[in-house]
Amino acid sequence: MLPKLKVKNLSCSRADNLLFHDLNFEVVAGKNIEIIGSNGSGKTTLLRILLGLINIGEGKLEWLDNEENYNHYRSIDCFYQGHSLGIKNLLSAHENLSLSSYSFGASEEKIAYALDRVGIKNHLSFTSELSVGQKKRISIARWLLKDFGIYFIDEPFSALDDQATSLIIEIIEELNAKGASFVITGHRASDVISNQIFLDHEV
Amino acid sequence: MKSDIYNWFFLILKRDLLIAFRRSSTYITPLIFFLIVVSFFPLALSPDQDFLRSLAPGVIWIAALLSSLLAVETIFSEDFKDGTLDEFFVTNEPSFVLVFAKVLCHWLITGLPILLASAISSIILYLPASSFLPMICSLILGTFFMSLLGAMGAALSLGRSAILSSIIVLPFSIPTLLMGTAVVSSAINNQDYSGFLLIMGAMLAIGIPGLCLLTVEAILLNYE
Repeated sequence: MLPKLKVKNLSCSRADNLLFHDLNFEVVAGKNIEIIGSNGSGKTTLLRILLGLINIGEGKLEWLDNEENYNHYRSIDCFYQGHSLGIKNLLSAHENLSLSSYSFGASEEKIAYALDRVGIKNHLSFTSELSVGQKKRISIARWLLKDFGIYFIDEPFSALDDQATSLIIEIIEELNAKGASFVITGHRASDVISNQIFLDHEV
Repeated sequence: MKSDIYNWFFLILKRDLLIAFRRSSTYITPLIFFLIVVSFFPLALSPDQDFLRSLAPGVIWIAALLSSLLAVETIFSEDFKDGTLDEFFVTNEPSFVLVFAKVLCHWLITGLPILLASAISSIILYLPASSFLPMICSLILGTFFMSLLGAMGAALSLGRSAILSSIIVLPFSIPTLLMGTAVVSSAINNQDYSGFLLIMGAMLAIGIPGLCLLTVEAILLNYE
């Protein structure tokens, strides 16, 4: 199977600091990659470069298209979740999903399924009334709205209880089975993803 | 593709309007602010009808410019803080549409209340009835242009002081102020004002694509 994304010789500097140098890896369907590094090691910057939010300094990104050709532009639907949850307090749990940019084209059934799957019982409750843990669950529910090709998630396992961690692992495995890939970041290696890239050692 | 862009546009507009209507201060504040500024003039200067009528074009337009800048920093700042702005830029939908939808939403929640307030102000400042329509037309064009300018200022000042966006935008609002006051003054003096309105229309026609594209680039600068 052809990789969805090839990262070749990627380097990045910020204010004369070399964040990472000569990174090479491939994102394959159904497989995950974990980017590990300390604070300021460039994990978030790397995700943003991969998604095109930041211009590439040195190196090359090659994205697979529907005709199995590689291009410099991205045609794969990707999901990005940064440090913030992307949840609006003035919207209900259902509205947070139905009016999310990721819900574009998602059916009502899919939205209801996603909320049920993460354990949100009252779909019409305002998120301002929910706990941080429940808001995190709503943000995870958005992963299920569409069949995204690659999920780029910044530190998904930080500040989570065991139950929520298990839920994330279950959903990652569920989406992997459908061919989705995850590129996640973290401060230390998790037990769930075997393909790991250590940014601190790249400098 | 065409319907996709429309649906994408209405998704953003619906979301932002829903949030704005649930936070009533966003649309009530410009209305109240406008009326307070305008009502200060008869109190501070003179209640004389002719005097107030001569001041009216400038007073209404200065109040309109300041009111339209009140909520300008909120156009992108909340989405930037809570991560939803990242999401909009990650989807394969055009960013230009995102910016235009957010500008339109800003105009609906600030520009429309300003139009209502200006109608009340025209009574306070003894504006003749014949100048009412040209005043409304110039405010529609001018406040929309201000929302476009405001979006650019908000994008350039993301993550920084809220007042910075107003400081960036105010110098660029001078042409709008000059044209807007010229329209109302001409209408009061029974002169032809169509040329000024056409210039304001042209500024808006150039501003919609030009400023929306500049705003997209300004937002992306914040990720660098």
